[in-house]
Amino acid sequence: MEAIRVRTRDWFADQVPVSLATLALGAAALGTVLLGTLALLLARGLIPHERILRTLTSEAQSGVLYASLAGGLLALVAGAVGYRRMPTRPAREAAVSGAALGAQAVVVAAFLLWFRSGETVDVFIRQFFRFEVLGEFARQFVTGAKNTVILAMAGEAIGIGIGLAVALLALSRRMAVRAPARTYINFFRGTPLLWQLSFFYFGIVLGLGLDVTAYQAAIVILGINAGAYTAEVFRAGILSIERGQMKAARSLGMSYFQAMRYAILPQAFRRVIPPLTNEFITLIKDTSLVVLLGLTFGEREILSVARDAYQETFNATPWLAGAAAYLVVTLPMIRIVTMLERRLRSGLAVIVG
Amino acid sequence: MNHGDSLIRLEAVHKWFGTLHVLKGVDLTVEGGEVLVIIGPSGSGKSTLLQTINLLEEPTEGRVLFEGRDITDVRSNLDEVRTHIGMVFQAFNLFPHMTALRNVTIALRKVLRLSEEEASERAMQELRHVGLEHKADAYPGQLSGGQQQRVAIARSLAMRPKLMLFDEVTSALDPELIQEVLDVMGRLAEEGMTMVVVTHEMGFAREVGTRMIFMDDGVILEEGSPREMFASPRHKRTQSFLSRLL
Repeated sequence: MEAIRVRTRDWFADQVPVSLATLALGAAALGTVLLGTLALLLARGLIPHERILRTLTSEAQSGVLYASLAGGLLALVAGAVGYRRMPTRPAREAAVSGAALGAQAVVVAAFLLWFRSGETVDVFIRQFFRFEVLGEFARQFVTGAKNTVILAMAGEAIGIGIGLAVALLALSRRMAVRAPARTYINFFRGTPLLWQLSFFYFGIVLGLGLDVTAYQAAIVILGINAGAYTAEVFRAGILSIERGQMKAARSLGMSYFQAMRYAILPQAFRRVIPPLTNEFITLIKDTSLVVLLGLTFGEREILSVARDAYQETFNATPWLAGAAAYLVVTLPMIRIVTMLERRLRSGLAVIVG
Repeated sequence: MNHGDSLIRLEAVHKWFGTLHVLKGVDLTVEGGEVLVIIGPSGSGKSTLLQTINLLEEPTEGRVLFEGRDITDVRSNLDEVRTHIGMVFQAFNLFPHMTALRNVTIALRKVLRLSEEEASERAMQELRHVGLEHKADAYPGQLSGGQQQRVAIARSLAMRPKLMLFDEVTSALDPELIQEVLDVMGRLAEEGMTMVVVTHEMGFAREVGTRMIFMDDGVILEEGSPREMFASPRHKRTQSFLSRLL
């Protein structure tokens, strides 16, 4: 037994190439299933949708799937068994990465095999992958994305204004000042945005006959809702600034508000950029709830466009297009803010760190 | 200020933090030109006492008089009073988002309402005073602890205070940076600045202090000239405190 253990160890000691082969195999398996499937689909066309099913069930696709399944499994097993025995750290890393890539290839290939074997896969594909229906709605999705951005940005602007003011009130020593701020924050954080939109629009705006459009009402309600979350973010940001900063400012004769304005808030603003970003991205997605209010044709945001297109075509492909449209809006936002954050961080490491 | 009023006068000052009784009836006067050194074990209430002088900590009981005015009276204008009392902290507390120059000018501009040129001129003068005019455009994060503390001193001095409070200003510094800050403080004392200094630097206390008090457990246990107190402390606890330090 001991002899076998020693011999295995000796054998692996010379097997740095095995780790590289594992990595290559895992990468190849994942590449085959992803790129191979994509290439087949594109080469044979996505329109009309029947071609998609034909491609997925074709011999060529079977080859792609089984090859990547086998390759992925092999890489997974080789990597999992071998990585502890690899003689160098890079070899070990290659083996682990190969196993990880192989595992992903196995999951994707297995999923596609399972998917195409479904009894009603043709119905599913007709419902969700009928890209030919999208053509006439492309323009509307662009307008929808624009409206989503407008709703989110206007709501966030209002939210930041309200949030800052309410945060300062919520930080007051005086109960009488704190109480209304807490009530506002707790109410709007504690009830669903869907409820707020319907109550304040159908109840207050329509019920009282206010001269406000659904679009305007949506912006205000989104802003009031965002204000409650933003207030908590600001409050935490202000509290995170060392007490000594306030003391130093007051010792120089500054009033409480001067100290806030010149010493505390500039630092707090920088600190709250990451959580504020998260709030904003959440708000972008929350604008979808205004679908409830019944916006006019040109005012519709992404989800309203997707829903209307679905109802018009009796086809669900626009729902997929809707997801894509949201990503087109959110991914650049995430990217921009990450960059902004990094710049602030590098400029004034002391403050953020 | 009536003739004969002390610069600072504390009368029976008590301070509670919740149930914690930190100052237990402190009476203290500070006259113009004095360098009063406060020593004592940690937790004895030294820093709290110092911060009641400019009412960063409000006394729970008792009065604080500045030039004979009761500044614990709710009707007193504390912001105005504080412009006459400079304070330097253990943790520097510079504003990290402002350059050294801006740290000094901000209160000159916003509190004293000086013009930009006047404020900058006065700030540069004070930075020169602490030997840091060449660091005017540096941010606090780019300065050593000693330099930061000297900027903090310049920031307070620029207000032209009648009194400077120093709260363990060298305790957060690396040993090799302590002296440069003590040098600046020594020079200030020579120039006749009235100072109240909480410190563990016994050398400084002996050389620069004109009067010294020993605090323990929220009360002033002993008071006298630094040299006398170091040579022959009267109280037992003063003795044991000093013997542990020297």
